[in-house]
Amino acid sequence: MFPWLWSYVRRYRFLMVFGLVLAVGVSALNMVNPTVAGTIVDKVILGGQRDLLWKLIALMVGTTLLKSLVRYCYQMMFEHASQNVIRNIREELYDKVQGLDFAYFDKTKSGDVMTLMTGDLDAVRHFIAWVIYVSFENALILVFSITVLMSINWRFTLIMLSVTPFIAFFALRLARRVKPTHLRVRDQFSRLNSAVQENIAGNRVVKAFVREDYEIARFMAENEAYKQRNLDSTAVRVRYMPRIDAFTGLLPVILIVTGGLMIINGKLTLGELVTFNGLMWAFSNPLSQVGGLVNDFQRFSASADRLFELYKRTSRIVNPPEPAALGRAKGRVEFRHVSFSYGDGPILEDIDFVAESGMTVGILGPTGSGKSSLVKLICRYYDCTEGGVFLDGLDVRRLDLRDLRSNVGITMQDVFLFSDTVEGNIAFGRPDASFEEVKAAASLADADGFITEMPEGYDTVVGERGVGLSGGQRQRIALARLLLKNPPVMVLDDTTSSVDVETEERIRGSIARLSGAHTTFLVAHRVSSLARADLILVMGEGRIVDRGTHAELASREGYYREVWLHQSGREVADRVPSDADLVAAGTGKA
Amino acid sequence: MARNKFDIDEELQPQFNPHYVKRLLGYLRPYGRGVSVAILLMVTAALVSLAGPYLIKLAIDDAIPKKDPKELILLASLLVCAVGVIWVCQTLRIKIMTRIGQDVIVRIRSDIFRKLQELPFTFFDSRPHGKILIRVVNYVNSLSDLLSNGFIQLVADLFSLAFIIVFMFIIDVRLTFICMAGLPILFAAVFLLKRRQHDSWLKVSHKQANLNAYLSESLSGMKITQSFAREEENRKIFSRLGADWKAAWIPAVMVNFAIWPVIDNISTIGVSLVYVAGIVWFKGTVTVGTLVAFAGYIWRFWTPIQNIGNFYNSMVTTGAYMERIFETIDEPVTVEDLPGAVDLPPIRGHVEFRTVTFSYDRGNPVLKDVNFVITPGMSVAVVGPTGAGKTTIVNLLSRFYNPDSGMVLIDGIDLRTVTIRSVRKQVGVMLQDSFLFAGTIMDNIRYGRLDATDAEVVSAAKAVRAHDFIMSTDDGYLTQVNERGMRLSMGQRQLISFARVLLADPRILVLDEATSSVDTETERAIQKGLAVLLKGRTSFIIAHRLSTIKNSDVIFFIDRGRILESGTHETLTAKRGAYWKLYAGMGEEVNGEG
Repeated sequence: MFPWLWSYVRRYRFLMVFGLVLAVGVSALNMVNPTVAGTIVDKVILGGQRDLLWKLIALMVGTTLLKSLVRYCYQMMFEHASQNVIRNIREELYDKVQGLDFAYFDKTKSGDVMTLMTGDLDAVRHFIAWVIYVSFENALILVFSITVLMSINWRFTLIMLSVTPFIAFFALRLARRVKPTHLRVRDQFSRLNSAVQENIAGNRVVKAFVREDYEIARFMAENEAYKQRNLDSTAVRVRYMPRIDAFTGLLPVILIVTGGLMIINGKLTLGELVTFNGLMWAFSNPLSQVGGLVNDFQRFSASADRLFELYKRTSRIVNPPEPAALGRAKGRVEFRHVSFSYGDGPILEDIDFVAESGMTVGILGPTGSGKSSLVKLICRYYDCTEGGVFLDGLDVRRLDLRDLRSNVGITMQDVFLFSDTVEGNIAFGRPDASFEEVKAAASLADADGFITEMPEGYDTVVGERGVGLSGGQRQRIALARLLLKNPPVMVLDDTTSSVDVETEERIRGSIARLSGAHTTFLVAHRVSSLARADLILVMGEGRIVDRGTHAELASREGYYREVWLHQSGREVADRVPSDADLVAAGTGKA
Repeated sequence: MARNKFDIDEELQPQFNPHYVKRLLGYLRPYGRGVSVAILLMVTAALVSLAGPYLIKLAIDDAIPKKDPKELILLASLLVCAVGVIWVCQTLRIKIMTRIGQDVIVRIRSDIFRKLQELPFTFFDSRPHGKILIRVVNYVNSLSDLLSNGFIQLVADLFSLAFIIVFMFIIDVRLTFICMAGLPILFAAVFLLKRRQHDSWLKVSHKQANLNAYLSESLSGMKITQSFAREEENRKIFSRLGADWKAAWIPAVMVNFAIWPVIDNISTIGVSLVYVAGIVWFKGTVTVGTLVAFAGYIWRFWTPIQNIGNFYNSMVTTGAYMERIFETIDEPVTVEDLPGAVDLPPIRGHVEFRTVTFSYDRGNPVLKDVNFVITPGMSVAVVGPTGAGKTTIVNLLSRFYNPDSGMVLIDGIDLRTVTIRSVRKQVGVMLQDSFLFAGTIMDNIRYGRLDATDAEVVSAAKAVRAHDFIMSTDDGYLTQVNERGMRLSMGQRQLISFARVLLADPRILVLDEATSSVDTETERAIQKGLAVLLKGRTSFIIAHRLSTIKNSDVIFFIDRGRILESGTHETLTAKRGAYWKLYAGMGEEVNGEG
């Protein structure tokens, strides 16, 4: 973990080392004022050297001015360094997350990732911006004060130092015991974050089922648990930190008893005792801060552990070391005996077909028969477990992911829009597109009409997940997003289920008119959506159970024909297809 | 309502509102006793710690010159006692205040969370979810230090400041006045910094909210990002937002840190003046011991002031967060129970819309003058082009919104006169968006009726033909799904949410594209089951598939917020109007063009 963090801090090491050098100066300057105060007592008040007073006062004021300005400077240096470091970590982790496979997102709650990128990063920021130099300052002040005190009277100093082993002992104890409690606090924080995030995302369902009380109860459980974890952590701190404080508090006792006795025995002057008294804070302050710093450090280290875990995570879908070159693909897609599973039961088995460039492939099948999984393999959201998926004759695993995905576009069942303008959402895949291009794509998806009718038109901001829009409107914006990108292979996964038939018909027409050859995959439940496909794959339990054109499939017994008859409004029960049907079907794609 | 997106700052409030601090303190009120005890402990500790320099002064001025070991030991024992008392006080205080602070955090967080449960869809639709999330979790957390330490530290600091001033007055009045001469300069400095500080921290909170909103959203939409290979662009945006945050942060801390050098220098000047005064101006009237003791007190005089400065800083820093929190708690609820609203009695399912007009955004009506009456037990299909207002009709029926004008009545009762929950309990809606919660499939179905037995859950699943695929997963009903029900296909998720609605056993059932992603076969099977389930229930079905709608008792064809045609499939088909054009052509079209 530390080498990993160091790789970020390294870049700012000169800035930080410079800051620490300044801190050395400041800590040294910290010694001046108590010494000056002692000198004033010794030389000016007792020794009667009045003329020294003004010089000493000037020294004191000047030192403070210099010290506070320099300290301000390096505080800002550390702020800069810490901000830069966490920016780099944040961006790198963001990249990391962007590169993770779908399987990760299937399992991970976004609230957990949010915790890492907010709370945990902030603990790291706090450490770099504050803990490092404060610890350093304290250590220096301690060392300096010991040095100065030693030079005045080493015996007396050693006696004063006798409390430090106790403080060290309790500080180590605290460090060991407090870290696990910090881990538990942050993990519970993550759960709390996820619980709230989920509630916000599911607010419609909550309201629809009048489950507010249930949600509140669930939330309160996490909320209370978070409080408990915090209290547990405080309990550990409360055990050790006052003890450390108490030992620090004993310093004045040692000061007057031993100091007094030494003066009585003539081993120490009164002025020296006053100096000791003045420097005592320089000695006790760092010691009393040990507890807090140890605690902060362990909080940081708990968070850094979790961040490092994310960093170490590897994606199962990675770029090949030497990707095969693919420009704009022609769009020939081939599945060669493909099998696939998410890890448990098989999802796809022995899928084997070829979609020539420019073909439209329809996919139909019962819920859960593997339709979506099949198309997701084309864009390599998952890797197949057996066989291979080929684009223009190249195994997709040999292609650069960006290359592959800019050639294969998909609209997913679960339409996700961003809280951005309609224009921004459509231009998502091509941020540089002109407004005319966006509008053209929207027209193709039959979305221009309703967009223009909205008061702010293309500048209307759509809520997250596009919830301000109806299902059909969302689907059409998502479609426009894809059409604007215009990839040679297009996958429409149930993209028009919430769109009425007439609109769907128009959309299909516009896809056909799109420039260039397109290989299109259509996953749908409406036979009318598929009827004109060049090849229809009928899926059942992860296998292709039938294939052919509409005419072929409609003319033979099977799932497809049943669905077709049912959807045309005809009852299937015992109905023999009329001649007219067969004739119509036969003329279809011939 | 103007919608907010990730890169737009929320509206700025120009001045820090001290009213919010009062409200925050209001949360501490129930813990008045605990807080008083903690303050007492703190003041005791502060008082006792003041004895330190005094005892040292006695030792240096008296015991040591007199070479009196007995007195020295006595003074030392007193000091040990003092240390002991401080130890006890600190331990107790931390214990008490952490508990109280955490309790208050829990309460504030639960208040804001409860509020979220009452807020209308529009609240969630009009801003990125990340900006709501950060308020409930991160912002509330940032108050924790203020609550468990800040406030009572302030009280204790004020007390110890008062005591120190008294002590200093006792020792030497003139020196005390000299020492305090720096205070007006400090006040002037703080006053100068104040406005800038507030503004810059507000800016930090906005930039942080923007960053979080973007992060949260891009996590939810990561699959889209990957499929459009847009990682590079997102990275740039994310990086820009991070840079914005840094750009806001640096000036903010710059102002914050400025307060320390100011206090540091003023206090040093104060100390210097005391020496000059003691030695030169009031020559001979001040003893060495007095001077030494006084020097000790001056530093102690400035310590609480420094603490108050810190408190002030954290007040300003968290002030921006406090504003966001209370703003959310104060957010107006547009749909709420009227005073005196009663529960809707068990209904039969008679539904009437009386000249209903409604708009989400003012001036852009979604429904215009909609009228209809549905008798109990009828099934109604609502069809029409996308965006015609179909979902809005059912939204009004469950009173997710109130109509702008006109009335929605169930069993002849105006929905506005009854409690919201009593309406929603009897009107079951299956939303377009089949959202599943993290948990098992069993939990998700049971969400419809929390006290349902496992057997009831299973039978609901069977009714919607979900049982088979559920059993085919590895853990059956105990299979874990999450947020968006990943791993399950859209159709499977719809079936689960369908089962969830059925389990709730509502008198009025609304299916908003409940089965759009379900295959026809399953849908048909569901419909057979539905015929039984719908018996005696009023149902509203929004769908595009002819097979789903054609058996309804009445079909409403909605276009641009009006009911254009209504009737059965047969009558509407015979009419050859808009409905016929849109739907009845479906079967033929396949044949004709295929």
